Amino acid sequence: MSENKQTFSVYEVFSQKSPTASFTHQFSLLAPNHEVAMTMARENFMRREPAVNIWVVKRDDIYVLPPEERPHLERMDNKAYRETKGYGDLQAKWRYHKEQYERKNAAK
Amino acid sequence: MANQHSITSADEAKQHPEYLAALKELLYQMADDDFILAYRGSEWLGLGPHIEEDVAFSSISQDTMGHAVMFYEMLEELGEGKADDLAQLREASAFRNAILVERPNGTGHYKENPHFDWGYAVTRFYLYGLFKQTRLESLVHSSYQPLTLAARKMLPELGYHLYHWQVWMNQLAVGSQEGYDRIMQGVEKVWQDAGDLFVFGSKEVDMVKFGLIESGQTLAQRWLEKAKQALDACVLPWPGMPQTTELSGRAGQHTPDLTEVLNTLSEVYRIDPAANW
Amino acid sequence: MAQQLHAVTGTAYEEKVAQFMARIERGEKIEADDWMPDDYRQQLIKLISMHAVSEIMGALPEKEWVPKAPSLRRKLAIMAKVQDEMGHGQLLMRVAEDLLVPLGKTREDLLDDLFTGRLKFHNVFHMEAPTWADAGVIGWLVDGAAIITQTMSLDTSYAPYARALHRICAEEKFHAQHGESIVLALAEGTKEQRQMLQDAVSRWWPALLMFFGPPEDGGITSNQQLNMRYKIRSQTNEELRQAFFSKYVPRIFHLGLTLPDETIHYDEREGKWHYKQPDWEEFKRIIKGGGPCSKERLQLRRMSYEETQWVRDALLGKGRRAV
Repeated sequence: MSENKQTFSVYEVFSQKSPTASFTHQFSLLAPNHEVAMTMARENFMRREPAVNIWVVKRDDIYVLPPEERPHLERMDNKAYRETKGYGDLQAKWRYHKEQYERKNAAK
Repeated sequence: MANQHSITSADEAKQHPEYLAALKELLYQMADDDFILAYRGSEWLGLGPHIEEDVAFSSISQDTMGHAVMFYEMLEELGEGKADDLAQLREASAFRNAILVERPNGTGHYKENPHFDWGYAVTRFYLYGLFKQTRLESLVHSSYQPLTLAARKMLPELGYHLYHWQVWMNQLAVGSQEGYDRIMQGVEKVWQDAGDLFVFGSKEVDMVKFGLIESGQTLAQRWLEKAKQALDACVLPWPGMPQTTELSGRAGQHTPDLTEVLNTLSEVYRIDPAANW
Repeated sequence: MAQQLHAVTGTAYEEKVAQFMARIERGEKIEADDWMPDDYRQQLIKLISMHAVSEIMGALPEKEWVPKAPSLRRKLAIMAKVQDEMGHGQLLMRVAEDLLVPLGKTREDLLDDLFTGRLKFHNVFHMEAPTWADAGVIGWLVDGAAIITQTMSLDTSYAPYARALHRICAEEKFHAQHGESIVLALAEGTKEQRQMLQDAVSRWWPALLMFFGPPEDGGITSNQQLNMRYKIRSQTNEELRQAFFSKYVPRIFHLGLTLPDETIHYDEREGKWHYKQPDWEEFKRIIKGGGPCSKERLQLRRMSYEETQWVRDALLGKGRRAV
């Protein structure tokens, strides 16, 4: 790149709404460096929402999953064993055992 | 300052005529400073050096006008009339702002051929911000409780403005020879009016006596230290002590530029101040 | 590994286009770094860069009223509103800039295109705003028109544009209320205030009709067809204008205001509004830079940009100072 075509770089802006919230990507801006990017970040993207912390990241420093690999992120729908919905029978079992116990005690 | 009786409300202040007069004078100075500088900031809207910075700068102008509104509303509570009237219907000679804040952004008009000077914008907002910080820090110990509360609320916002301008001043001063020259010209221009910031006018003795605020000289000392650090951080030379100014804004002496500002600010409102806008 | 495989397979352009169209038809969203047909990219650049510079030029007519707004609250609100417009310009510029990367173009080129007239901006921002009521009407009706077109585009196939529009639409709701608040205060005010409002509505009416672009009259342009096929936008100019009438014409009448068009009415049976066409030749002249304020606003924008070139140079460390 020649000297006179030199321009600002893209910085991605992330912010955190509260101390327990995760950082969320907001948008990107053009800036000459991190310091100046930070002075403009909040007012460009968080004028009406709270922010307790801000990150600015030079876009060139983000390694992105290549577009042709993104379709491979799709998973088969056979992972119920990882999720609570895979254990839907538990409530009924607990109810059954409670009833069994109560019936036994009532019979005494 | 320390062992002053604390005044908790506007009603209580109104029972002490001398106290009230000194308090009102101080409030006008602070309200008018912030109001007129915010106006100058609003003229920059849409004309900044970079779109992102245009957006960021506007929040600073809004915050600053927001602070002015709080001071005008305190005056309203003290029986001075409606805040909107105080901001828009007084004559220039009734304004108590320092000369520094009424200076134009450059030559031309914001609608036509605005040759605005970004070097002056950065230095004026930064050095005024440092002055405002010393003033608010003093107000945290003021005898007028509504003022101490307001000062505590304003200080974090002002800190954010100072962070902004500090980065910009440093980047420009260190970035290139032209940046350095423009910032130095800005500093010199601010310096010509800086002395006027610390003149608190005819009621200053009472302001100090009643524990409303510390003396202008005390605040000037603190500001000089802050300003020195700020310039050192940008490897800028120290311009020396600011001289006494020809005009005294606190005494109602102003440049014709202020009259022009006030005419613009009130152009619509003056069509019919009794109407609802 | 995977990349090598694709290189070996070497999909032809037409096949890629077919795959792309299948994605569009499945309702998938396209990202900036996804492969896209050249004309998809061109359509987006045209649409989004025009939208971007319109926001930035749109700040200027309202900005004239920022210092003059007639109360402290109004001064703050209109400052925030114009700031948002600049912010919308920023969002859209970023989206356009990312699309321009493969063409080796940057924001500087976009602004240069604006200054030289290659890149057009919306007709409404070439117009005069001589009174405070104009500031209200811009907020109420021009922003109202913008909300209608932008809401329609929220479901656009280009994801970065959709993300920008979601932010913009959220703020436009505040703008519309800001405009309504000004307009209602004037409508409920003195005789002079009402007259000021009526004059502004009459003045802006033709420009508002033009805002949506010429009607299709049966045949829609190839440009619109392409945008619809790619799901960049989903409604025609006339459909949007009709939606605008349905929302705003009754409200204009409820305030006791009149329109400079005695013929305008809603036909229940046809389910559409009939109205007097604005002068579409005039529309062409305006967007080519022949509007009442075109030249001075472009001049203002160009001047402020050129005179602050030293700031951007200094930030890039051009002509570094020897400390």
